[in-house]
Amino acid sequence: MGVIRAQPARVTDWAAKSVGTAWRAFDMQLVTYAALLAATGLVMAYTNSVESGGTPLEVGTTFTRGLMWAGLAVIAFIIATAFDYRWLKTFAWPVYAIQSGLLILTLLIGDGVGGSARWISVGPLTFQFSELAKILMIIVLANYLSSHQAKLDSLSTILGACLLVGPPLVLVMLQPDLGTSMVFAAILAGMLWMSGASLKWLTALAAGLVAMVPIAWTSILRDYQKERLAAFLSTDKDIQGAGYQLHQAQIAIGSGGWMGKGLTNGTQAQGDFLPVQTTDFVFAILAEELGFVGAMVLFGLFILLLWRVLVAGWRSRDPFGTMFAAGLGAMILFQLVVNVGMVIGIMPITGIPLPFVTHGGSSLVSMALGLGILQSINIRQTRKEW
Amino acid sequence: MNTYLDGRPAAPARRFSRFLVFGLVVLLGVGTLTARLFYLQIATGSEYAARSTSNRTVLEPITSPRGLILDRNGRLLVTNVPTYAVKVRPADLPNTKRDDVVARLGALLTLDPADINASIDGNPGSAFDLVRIAQDVDKSTALLISEAGSDLPGVEVTIEARRQYTDGPLMSHLLGYTGPVSAEQLPDLRALGYQPDDLLGKVGLELQYEKDLRGTYGAESVERDATGRKTQVLSTVRDAVPGASLTLTIDTQAQEDAQTALTWAMERIGMTRGVVVVMNPQTGEILAMVSLPTYDNNLFSRGISTDDFKKLLENKDKPLLNHAVQAHYAPGSTYKLVTGTGGLADDKINPGTLLTTKAYLTLGSTKFYEWNRRGWGPCNIYCGFGHSSDTFFYQVAGMLGADRLGYWANQYGFGADTGVDLPGEVSGIVPTNAWKQDALGARMYPGETYQAGIGQGYDSATPMQLINAYAALANGGTLYQPQVVRDIVGPDGAVIRPFQPRVLRQMDVKPGILRVMRNAARETVMLRHTYNLVDMPIKIAGKSGTAEFGVADAKGRLPYSSFFVGFVPKDPYNGSFDKADSELVVMAFAHDSRTVGNAATEIVKYFFQLHFDIQKDYRLPNLLERGNFYSND
Repeated sequence: MGVIRAQPARVTDWAAKSVGTAWRAFDMQLVTYAALLAATGLVMAYTNSVESGGTPLEVGTTFTRGLMWAGLAVIAFIIATAFDYRWLKTFAWPVYAIQSGLLILTLLIGDGVGGSARWISVGPLTFQFSELAKILMIIVLANYLSSHQAKLDSLSTILGACLLVGPPLVLVMLQPDLGTSMVFAAILAGMLWMSGASLKWLTALAAGLVAMVPIAWTSILRDYQKERLAAFLSTDKDIQGAGYQLHQAQIAIGSGGWMGKGLTNGTQAQGDFLPVQTTDFVFAILAEELGFVGAMVLFGLFILLLWRVLVAGWRSRDPFGTMFAAGLGAMILFQLVVNVGMVIGIMPITGIPLPFVTHGGSSLVSMALGLGILQSINIRQTRKEW
Repeated sequence: MNTYLDGRPAAPARRFSRFLVFGLVVLLGVGTLTARLFYLQIATGSEYAARSTSNRTVLEPITSPRGLILDRNGRLLVTNVPTYAVKVRPADLPNTKRDDVVARLGALLTLDPADINASIDGNPGSAFDLVRIAQDVDKSTALLISEAGSDLPGVEVTIEARRQYTDGPLMSHLLGYTGPVSAEQLPDLRALGYQPDDLLGKVGLELQYEKDLRGTYGAESVERDATGRKTQVLSTVRDAVPGASLTLTIDTQAQEDAQTALTWAMERIGMTRGVVVVMNPQTGEILAMVSLPTYDNNLFSRGISTDDFKKLLENKDKPLLNHAVQAHYAPGSTYKLVTGTGGLADDKINPGTLLTTKAYLTLGSTKFYEWNRRGWGPCNIYCGFGHSSDTFFYQVAGMLGADRLGYWANQYGFGADTGVDLPGEVSGIVPTNAWKQDALGARMYPGETYQAGIGQGYDSATPMQLINAYAALANGGTLYQPQVVRDIVGPDGAVIRPFQPRVLRQMDVKPGILRVMRNAARETVMLRHTYNLVDMPIKIAGKSGTAEFGVADAKGRLPYSSFFVGFVPKDPYNGSFDKADSELVVMAFAHDSRTVGNAATEIVKYFFQLHFDIQKDYRLPNLLERGNFYSND
């Protein structure tokens, strides 16, 4: 518990530094790329609102709600940046309790499509706590791994990390939300990898997971999830059933060509051929309206963002910072690959949002929170080695 | 090594190799996405662009207005009325909401939900084709449903033309009606451009002339959204060509007169089934054709309810059947025309030949009775035909034999379709040795030939065949194909197919023989065999007939039907039956009449009275008393 005793000293320590020094460590690039990605999301929301035949600036459209959430995300980011991340280490176990509490609450009183329990409605707002839970999971794991630095070669450390991830992962799977529970697994994998954990045990763990696949298919996956997987494996066979979205998404993307049809001109979107176009399938509309070039710009922004996340992890003198960056990076990468991969037909359909771009407040605010913590890590490191 | 953080040893966390691998995974992941995207958008992009276009544009048919039907004087018998129809596209109706939607539709349309479900399940097309749930929906209901929108997913209100039949039941058996395409028909009709929710002719002329009436559907290129709703019409690819119209040979006035005469007798007798056909023997044109009981074809064009349809199907008198062409009966003594003509033409008898008529003839141990159980002594053809002597025609039939009798029946058109342009015609039976060998495995017995000679036994004919035979007699030996449609008129008013009499055959008989038979038919009237028909101011020749059928009662008496076929000279007041110039033949069939006198004769008499506007009433209602005996053959 020496940690707690040490904390007040450091706050004083930081307060003594000039604000200017802190701001030099603030990663402006990271914020810029994230802001550009979020703006892309807003543009897609705008184009969708126009296509729906409404005036996009009216209250309640996808666009204005997107703006509101963007505002909330900025506030979350600023607060998280200003907050000394080191307190998170102190409160890692309460954070874990809050995370589990929110997920249990979601299961108890949450709403969702077709009997699922994925979000909680408060007035006009809906909160998908599993999004926040991902960030909280990264905090908890970063604390765990950084405090077990010395024992990273041991199996017990790896299994301990798995045990930490287990409950929230299962709670999310029960909603049921297979996609998000897979994100938890990806976060764990990324963080274990970056922690420097023994390759031997990581390999063993991976082999164990592969062996689980048949068990998962028979006892864990629900019928609709199997349908989607089956649809993924045979896209052209069932274009009116489970494969419909995928089929229409690929027509949308394919018809975009080099430069796209132009914003608000996507016929697939306009004709409503493409379901859930502002949420999980937003990339299809982007690729239809902005083309291959637009998609490349988006990929470029993601690569730059991930680069800045890794840089923040590399710079951090605090293993917690490195671990946090690793978790955030793994999460963003996994969601990018799985979401876009799903839309372009090389991944099965899951409800994983495209970070920053997908319209969905909980996801955006959670990402902003994550980036804010990362900035907090950035500006609270000495910069001797960089 | 930095010991800045809470006194722990410096973290070994940062391993460059692990960062490098992470970075490579990022590039590998994004690179894979890029490669796939390149394949979709650039390598095969044009194919997807085409699919995107075909996704939203679709060729939709433009319906063509169905052709009209007019009577011979230009009176409109059917018009097209725009009505609202409620349809369902099953693909857009989620299964979870189906029960709710069906229940609400049932309440709005006052339909049984079971009927609605039956319609949806009986959908002949695919789940993406519209299924008609209700036709002829009133405007306020249609508006209510079309505004319900998302509350009634998959439900659409369309405007379609309904056939409005001016005279309803009067013309039902002629005109028929239109109805929805059935599942069995659809595969064949698809190739002809029919839609699963199309209406087409189901029976009668609507069916017979479907090709002409329908016209040619056009096509337009339509932009639609994912739910199939039209967003805009892009272009007309092909204009619709309206259907051709039909001018009938039917005279509405004659049709009404025929129905009036038949209805009068039926009500008087308490009889439930009858037919009247009126024809011009010089051309084969049908002027009137009434088959009772009838039905209202507007019920069908509006979309008949299951209950109403069931009632029509279960009626023992088969109102949906046109008994003039779709049913055959023993023709009775009217058939003696065939026997008489054959006897004269085959030189078995000549007009002066006297044959003895008596109470009965004996063949082996069987007695063949005269209908009045007395006979008239020696009789020639005029006497025999005039009194309708059974024993006279037994003898002639015996001289001819079954095969020659059959030959002459065929000459008059019996045993074969008349070719009238109405669907579902049946051809009846002409018994010959070959026929019986084929059907029953034996040759005709002489007694059977006797029976065949007087229109009983195996003989069976449609009322249409019967009148057509007498038309050939009246016109001097030309057997025409009866026709109901005169001209087919294009949408521009030009006649596409003008009326053309169609000759089935010139009969193999000398004109003189038919002149004898016409005068023999006149003799029937002159001898007062038909009571006071002779007293009318017009000259009528004809032949009555009575045919037993069915099962005998306790006293061994069979129920019977009566026929009468009569015709008048071109000048009905002063003309002569020496000439074959008649332009009017009338036939009546009173099924299961069992009257004291010949009911059919009274019907034809009443028709002539109405038709020639004869003021004096010659009807003899007391002849129409029920009396289950063989009184007036």
